[in-house]
Amino acid sequence: MSEPILKEFANPLSLGSRRILVTGAASGIGRATCRLLSCLDARIVAVDVDEPGLEAVMREMSGEGHARLGADLADVERIPAWMSELAGTGGPLYGVVHAAGLSCVQPVRLLTPALYRRVLSVNTEAALALARGFQKKTVGDPRGGSIVFISSVMASAGAPGAAVYSLSKAALHGLARSLALELAPAAIRVNCVAPGFVRTPMFDRMASPWDAQQRDRVEEDHPLGLGAPLDVAHSVAFLLADTARWITGTVLTVDGGYTAH
Amino acid sequence: MDPSKVTLITGASSGAGRRIAVHLSRSRRLILHGRDSARLSETRDLCERPTEHCMWDFDLRDSGGIEGALEPVLRGNQLAIESFVHSAGMLKIQALRLVDRGSAHEIIDVNFMAALEIMRLLVRQKFNGKHLRGVVFISSTASRFGARGFSVYCASKGALDAFMRAAAVELAPQVRVNSVLPGATRSAMTAAMLSDSELRDRMESDYPLGIGDPDDVAWAVEYLLSDKARWITGQEFVVDGGRTVNMTA
Repeated sequence: MSEPILKEFANPLSLGSRRILVTGAASGIGRATCRLLSCLDARIVAVDVDEPGLEAVMREMSGEGHARLGADLADVERIPAWMSELAGTGGPLYGVVHAAGLSCVQPVRLLTPALYRRVLSVNTEAALALARGFQKKTVGDPRGGSIVFISSVMASAGAPGAAVYSLSKAALHGLARSLALELAPAAIRVNCVAPGFVRTPMFDRMASPWDAQQRDRVEEDHPLGLGAPLDVAHSVAFLLADTARWITGTVLTVDGGYTAH
Repeated sequence: MDPSKVTLITGASSGAGRRIAVHLSRSRRLILHGRDSARLSETRDLCERPTEHCMWDFDLRDSGGIEGALEPVLRGNQLAIESFVHSAGMLKIQALRLVDRGSAHEIIDVNFMAALEIMRLLVRQKFNGKHLRGVVFISSTASRFGARGFSVYCASKGALDAFMRAAAVELAPQVRVNSVLPGATRSAMTAAMLSDSELRDRMESDYPLGIGDPDDVAWAVEYLLSDKARWITGQEFVVDGGRTVNMTA
């Protein structure tokens, strides 16, 4: 998390005090996204269930006018309501980045609804609820907006034990395509960023039972090596900014070549 | 003497290639390639610091002659190519039963073989040292979807994208290789289509965000070549105003 963020490219990518809601803001890709977007002059609404983590990210962001909300994204039904409240108190939102996600590595014989329901709620249903909240006239910026879902290479690749995670992320691609068409008349763009394996706290938890050989193999599966959260955050910034004003319904895969080989 | 590192842009005399040149000239020294030297000069005049950029006037239909033509450009100016954008492209709309082998070869030569030949040269140490870092091919949504009369064009862009992935894997981690797949933007290539009002209205309604501007393509290219995209390789980046998700069009 200590990499310097360059500002010299800030001109076309500038978000000029637009308000962007980021879920999963307390760690990993969400946290790097908050830091980067704040350097591009966005005003961030940081959402996460981890309140101490949120406090840390609030301290890390540059600029002013940021807000935070401790909320569990699994509580899908409440999402549009708190989005309306946030817009009412702090002004309309220009963008939403859904970076909150739970991993799920389990053999299929153990995949009971009780186990996977929470994963599907946070990873997938919350994305739909965020879009529902965002398209309300009282929530979205009248200039239009941009939604970015963080999916995964597992949306198009498979792995033993990854059934539910793959399902939850592949669904985001389908969701983004139809939302892109439905929301285009409102000048709302909807895209996905599909990362490969990125060094995040979630990755560390997933990789903790692996031996050195397994770690090497995952690294070798990425021709450019494992990624950093900032690599993904840069693509999110590109898709939120006017640089991507003609891009919607697209998946931008940021994976060090994982899906190319 | 350490050669000065530059970006080669093919097809820089018009359309997306010209806009890409203008964008990249703000931060890079360029070799501008085109067939029409007068229009190539116009592109150079639109660039930042025009006198710093070289021009390479060559017809890429002669893919066998690329080596002999590009070498003096590099040697004569002490240049090495760090980034390569293949934006040259030919489109001829022809029903399959009317396709002639001659024009099919020309389209494949310009759209695909020229990219392969230039890449082959740029990764040879004798030709370009170990200087190549970033490559972007301007492909097309036609790489993924069919259209009547587009059989050869679709095939040429499909070949380009398949080659892009293979090159990305083979040349990692030193070189990153990606494609941008634009939909229809306002350019000389689409001017004829867009001047037909019925066709233009249909295209406007097929594109959820409307017809694009070459700037939209240039931003994506600039992004992919930058260090911000240092972990992106082997990817097709669709920049098409939502056209390809709109199957009912």
